[in-house]
Amino acid sequence: MADQVLEGSQPVDLAKHPSGIVPTLQNIVSTVNLECKLDLKAIALQARNAEYNPKRFAAVIMRIREPKTTALIFASGKMVCTGAKSEQQSKLAARKYARIIQKLGFPAMFKDFKIQNIVGSCDVKFPIRLEGLAYSHGAFSSYEPELFPGLIYRMKQPKIVLLIFVSGKIVLTGAKVRDETYTAFENIYPVLTEFRKSQQ
Amino acid sequence: MATFELYRRSTIGMCLTETLDEMVSNGTLSPELAIQVLIQFDKSMTEALETQVKSKVTIKGHLHTYRFCDNVWTFILQDALFKNDEFQENVGKVKIVACDSKLLTQ
Repeated sequence: MADQVLEGSQPVDLAKHPSGIVPTLQNIVSTVNLECKLDLKAIALQARNAEYNPKRFAAVIMRIREPKTTALIFASGKMVCTGAKSEQQSKLAARKYARIIQKLGFPAMFKDFKIQNIVGSCDVKFPIRLEGLAYSHGAFSSYEPELFPGLIYRMKQPKIVLLIFVSGKIVLTGAKVRDETYTAFENIYPVLTEFRKSQQ
Repeated sequence: MATFELYRRSTIGMCLTETLDEMVSNGTLSPELAIQVLIQFDKSMTEALETQVKSKVTIKGHLHTYRFCDNVWTFILQDALFKNDEFQENVGKVKIVACDSKLLTQ
């Protein structure tokens, strides 16, 4: 993974990441409006790597290999692009899909591109006492091990949801810009160290 | 009952179609009857493949392109390896067209 290579080869900016850990971006979801009505069946028949099953889902599902992403293309001309690992890659992929639609003969525009969600993850490399964390941060935490093994932490500022696992692996979701992911992680890191599980 | 016409493009299907064309054009067969024969061919192929073919082949290759539209899957594979108990063979380019047989009974 590019980010991890970067993390290993370049020193982490400790002013921005005091924990010394930079969450890796795993998934970016973006939307764009192509501003024209689309004939989904015609698209599914002509484009490569497309699925269209209107009985199950009212969009064409299309994939490209570079950047490796999936797009949901709706008849209204709205499109969702998922799977990219960075904001730029997400935009590049969305542009490629728009270009494919254009090549099929639709007057596709590229309007209102927006990053809707950023998912990141990282590993603090020590086990965490989730019960203790859930108890002392009750207002933000939901920990129901019978339902889900991770603690769900709904941070208010920035407004990010974190999944915290006993193993020390963390998932951060809900960000619109990557700095929210980074800030949320730096906010939670001291809490995680506080609830570090002492190893037997 | 609906039938899948995809077997008409096979060697045996093409031969049958050619023969029927010939018979229709020289007047030995009516076009309506020729169509009936083709429909019966569709049914017989489906049934024969279902009941009389026991051998299994695995196909493994690089998926170059896929498509799902009108309940038909299309796959284009590159450098595919066809394998069964007795033989294996590499094929540079393969096109697989697949339909859901459950749709026939609906």
